[in-house]
Amino acid sequence: MDEWRYQPAGDLHLKPTESLRSLHREAGLIAGITQTAWRALVRTYLRGYHRLRVEGIEHLPAKPPFVMIANHASHLDALVLASAMPWRLRRSVFPIAAGDVFFETPAVALFSAMMLNALPMWRKRCGSHAMQELRERLIEGPSIYILFPEGTRSRDGSMGRFKPGLGMIVAGSPVPVVPCHLEGAFAASPPGARIPRPLPMRLRIGPALTFAEAGNDRTGWQEITTRLEAAVTALRDGSR
Amino acid sequence: MTFLGIHPIALAITAGIAGALLITPAIFITLEKAGKLSPALRADLWTRYKSWLILAPLMILPLLAGRVPAVVGVAVLAALCYREFARATGLFREHLVSALVSVGGLLLSFAILDNWLGFFDALESLIVSLIVIFSLFSDQPKGYIQRVALGVLAFMLFGVSLGHFSYLANDRLGPPLQISILLCVELNDVFAYCTGKTFGRRKLSPNTSPNKTIGGALGAMVLTTALFATLVHFILRDTPIDQPIHLITLGVLLSLTGQWGDLVMSSIKRDLGIKDMAATIPGHGGLLDRFDSLIFVGPALFHYLFYFGGITLDTPARVFTGH
Repeated sequence: MDEWRYQPAGDLHLKPTESLRSLHREAGLIAGITQTAWRALVRTYLRGYHRLRVEGIEHLPAKPPFVMIANHASHLDALVLASAMPWRLRRSVFPIAAGDVFFETPAVALFSAMMLNALPMWRKRCGSHAMQELRERLIEGPSIYILFPEGTRSRDGSMGRFKPGLGMIVAGSPVPVVPCHLEGAFAASPPGARIPRPLPMRLRIGPALTFAEAGNDRTGWQEITTRLEAAVTALRDGSR
Repeated sequence: MTFLGIHPIALAITAGIAGALLITPAIFITLEKAGKLSPALRADLWTRYKSWLILAPLMILPLLAGRVPAVVGVAVLAALCYREFARATGLFREHLVSALVSVGGLLLSFAILDNWLGFFDALESLIVSLIVIFSLFSDQPKGYIQRVALGVLAFMLFGVSLGHFSYLANDRLGPPLQISILLCVELNDVFAYCTGKTFGRRKLSPNTSPNKTIGGALGAMVLTTALFATLVHFILRDTPIDQPIHLITLGVLLSLTGQWGDLVMSSIKRDLGIKDMAATIPGHGGLLDRFDSLIFVGPALFHYLFYFGGITLDTPARVFTGH
């Protein structure tokens, strides 16, 4: 017979405002309801207004943990990737969002936590400690991360170089990384545009890569970054 | 001698609490000038004081404002207590159980507002059955007993038990009774602490709550009983309850159930290996750390008063569903 095992919420002893910004935040019933409602709204919007098409959904692993990455051209990107996720995985999905944009004020942090289920990455101090915490949450959660390795949105629609931070999260672990390419997001919602244009979008999901052999060091991170950048580029150029 | 239709005892207690909150800073400052406060203690006292400044009106004003605000106020308190319990035990990850406990709580509140005691009683067994049955449908036997048991316990503690406290609002004399209960339950803790410091030698329950002493428990029982019996004597004058034997029994019941509630929550926290249930109220921990003693007072006093005719629930029965 197993003993009863209690597992208090990871953010149990944080004040409400701290909890919103914490990597240990866990959603309960209320956040579950708001996130599901938000998800339904966003899916309807993306499929109707942007006629979103998703290809390669079969490449998504059946269960967490895994990481979904893509090129980053608009604020719609994370919504597109999250909405592509199957219903049964919805509660494990965490978009990794810039702390200085999505968690700066309490009101915005509340939205990011209750609707998007986003976790913050603080760009000014994303040292190895922060990456280690993200790695723990990913594996122990187990969680699904949506992450944009360019680190920022493209200003001209072209794909930027990938940053090696992602390597620190997955190097030497069996966690699969799913490369994706999103087409049409820049035209639909370029930086500075207030209202997205009703232009079509297409998401291509590629086969997952794993980096269990890659060393958790500078060389390993760089190798991971190069391979993932190549995978996303290949999806862009249509030669899967 | 009523003001805005508020019972004089309710008014007197409110004025007393307001007065105490007003003079507390003066006491702190005097103690500080006399050099009796270490910086850490001083900071702690002020944090606690500021929390009370917000908490006390939030507790008392809905009870004074009438039947509906009183029921809604207790329902909000119960929901927040459930949230803390669920997050501390891990039950919050079971959204279905949480949803059933929440729906159960809403239905209980409706039954109270409707003054429909039959439905209130029926919900106790019906919601428990629903929690036990609906948890089958996920087809995950692993952890089934724990899930269901935590859900049932939470519903009983925060739905049904706190619901009894709330149900008192359906009596004409509900508000002064509820405010007296709140005051005495909180003072019961204070009395136990103070008399424990003075007379306490033998530990009451060293494994559950090592700071409590038998002296403190007895001291609190004597003082709380005296205070609560006096208050009830003035509130329930001319009712069958207004006899020494009943008044003393009520006081002892309140003190005992209050202390037991405290011990129950200590026991739960020990089992979970946590110190506070949450960080909701600065200086106090979670709401549950503050209101644990209230949980069992409701059912004990409600049924005692109702059985012996102290309260008659004279709000029209089935306000909404009646014909």
